Amino acid sequence: MEPELGRLFLTAPVPDELDAQRRAWNVVRAAYAEREPVRHRRGLRPILALAVLAVLVAAALSPPGRAVGDWLRDSVRGEEPAQPALVRLPAPGRLLVTSDTGVWVVQEDGSKRRLGDYGDASWSPRGLHVIAAQGRRLVALEPEKGEVRWALSRSAAVRDARWSGGGLDTRVAYRSGNSLRVVAGDGAPDRLVARRIAPVAPAWKPGDEHVLAYVDSGGGLNIVNVDTRAGRLVTHGFESARALVWSPDGRFLLVVTKVRRHPILNARGRPLRTLELPKGHVLVDASFAPRGDVLAYTDFAPGREQGTVVVHDGRRARTVQSGEGRLEDVVWSPNGRWLLVGRPDADQWLFLRSSGSPRIDAVSDIRREFDPGGEGAGSFPRVAGWCCVP
Amino acid sequence: MASAGRDERAWVRGAQAGSASDLEALFRNHWPRAYRAAYLVVHDAAAAEDIAQEGFLAAVRALDGFDRRRPFGPWLHRIVVNRAIDWARARTLRREVGDETALERAPAPVEQENPRELSGGVTAALAALSPEHRAVIVLRYLLEYSPGEIADLLDLPRGTVNSRLRRGLDALAGQITVEER
Repeated sequence: MEPELGRLFLTAPVPDELDAQRRAWNVVRAAYAEREPVRHRRGLRPILALAVLAVLVAAALSPPGRAVGDWLRDSVRGEEPAQPALVRLPAPGRLLVTSDTGVWVVQEDGSKRRLGDYGDASWSPRGLHVIAAQGRRLVALEPEKGEVRWALSRSAAVRDARWSGGGLDTRVAYRSGNSLRVVAGDGAPDRLVARRIAPVAPAWKPGDEHVLAYVDSGGGLNIVNVDTRAGRLVTHGFESARALVWSPDGRFLLVVTKVRRHPILNARGRPLRTLELPKGHVLVDASFAPRGDVLAYTDFAPGREQGTVVVHDGRRARTVQSGEGRLEDVVWSPNGRWLLVGRPDADQWLFLRSSGSPRIDAVSDIRREFDPGGEGAGSFPRVAGWCCVP
Repeated sequence: MASAGRDERAWVRGAQAGSASDLEALFRNHWPRAYRAAYLVVHDAAAAEDIAQEGFLAAVRALDGFDRRRPFGPWLHRIVVNRAIDWARARTLRREVGDETALERAPAPVEQENPRELSGGVTAALAALSPEHRAVIVLRYLLEYSPGEIADLLDLPRGTVNSRLRRGLDALAGQITVEER
C-alpha cells in the first residue's frame, strides 16, 4: 500500500499547478533581483539615504519659489506622441485602477479585467489579493477573476483598506465610520484599534511586524504595533495630514499635508526634515520607489495651472515632467524604472521613465478605457497601485 | 542521487554568487513537490501557492547564510509543511470568528474544498484527517522522509510521528483498496 500511496500523491490532480509555478517564479525572481544589489552596494545605502535627506534639507531651506523653480530648469525630453489606447505597460506588473465603473486590473499586455462594483481598492503586498470596499462591506478578492475570498460587513461605510503581510500573517486595516479596525488572516477576531480617527488612510510600516501609522481626530500621529499594542507612539500637530507614505525600508514616514510643509519622520514618529514647497504649491501625491531611496511627488500650482512631477534620486531633485494642468497619482513600476502619473485635464496617463534617458509615453482616452461602451464622461480613473506579480 | 546532490549544491553556490539561472534550477527542481505537499495539507490551491512561495522567498532571504553542505529540500519542506499546518489550523479558527458583525464566508472555491478535485481517491480521505496527520502522511509518502526525519522537521517526538502515521494509514487504507479494484 505504501508505495501506492506515494504514487497516488504524485499523480493526484492539483489545480493550477503550472500557472502557480509561473507566478511564484516571477515573485521569487523579483525578490532575488532585489537582493543582489543590496549585497553588493551595502556600503552605499546609508550614503544614498543621507543624500536624500540632504536634498530634502536643501528643499526645506530654499526660499519660496526657488525649490521647485530650480528643478524646472531641467527640460523635459523624450516625449512620444500620445497613444490612443492602452496597449501595454512599459514595465512588468499589473495596475489596480478604481473608476466610476468599478475596480479594474490592467495586465502588462494592456488587457483589463473588471473585478466588480467596488469603490476603493488596494493590493496585498505581493499582489496575490486585492482588498476593496463596497459600501459597508470589506471584501478580499483574487485579482485574476475577481472572485471573492471573504467579506466582512460593518455597520458604517468601509474605506481605505490596507493590507499588511502575506499568507498566514495577514492583517487588513480599514476605516469604518470614524473608527479604525484591523482584521487578521490568522483567525483572530476583527478588532477595534482606535475609535476616533481622521479621514486619512492608515499606512502599514513595511516589514514583518504589523506596525500601523494613523492620524487620530485630534491631529495626533499614532504609530503602534497592532498585535502587541505596546509602545504606542503619538506625535501631535498633524491636523492637516492628508496621507501617510512609508518608505519601503520603513525608515521614513512622509506626512502629506494640506499645506505646503510636509514632515518626514523616522520610524518612531520623530520629525527628521520637512519637504517644503513654494508658496501657492500643493503636493498632490507622493510615493517612494521600491528601493526606498528615491521619492517622487506631483506638485500643482493652482495660480499658474502648472503640474510638475519631481524625483529626488539621492543626488539631486529633478523635474521629470512639467506642464499645464494638474497631475495626480504618482505610482512607481515594481522595478522602479517608470512612473505612472494621471493627467485628468488631458484624459491621459503619462508613463515617465525615471532613470536613463528621458522618455514619456502618453496614453489618451483613459476615461473611456475604463468605461467600455459608455461615454467616458465620469470622473478620472485613479491608479491604486502597480504591483509586483506579472 | 549523489549527482542530484552535487547539482543542488552547485545551484545553491551559484545562486549565492548571483546566478539567477541557478536559482531558477533550484526553484524548478523543488517547486512541484513543495506546492503539491502544501496543497495536500491545506486543500486550497491559492493557499498552497502562497505557502510554497513563502518558502522560496524565505530561502532567498536566507541564501547568503545557507550552509551548502546541508541539503536544501528538508530546509524548504520544514518551512512549507509547518506553514501549511498553521494555515489549515487558522482556517478552522477563521470559521469560528465571532464578532459583533457578520463575517460572510465567500462562496468562492478557494475557501472550500473543490468537490471535483477531492471527490474521489486518496485526497478525499486525506482531507478527512487533521492537518497534523495530513502533514505527517505527506512528508512520509510524498516527500519520502523517514519517521525520524519527520520528527526533526516538525519538532515532534518520534512516537507521535509513528502514531500519526499509523492512524493516517488506517484511515486511508480503505480508500486505497477501493481505488485498486
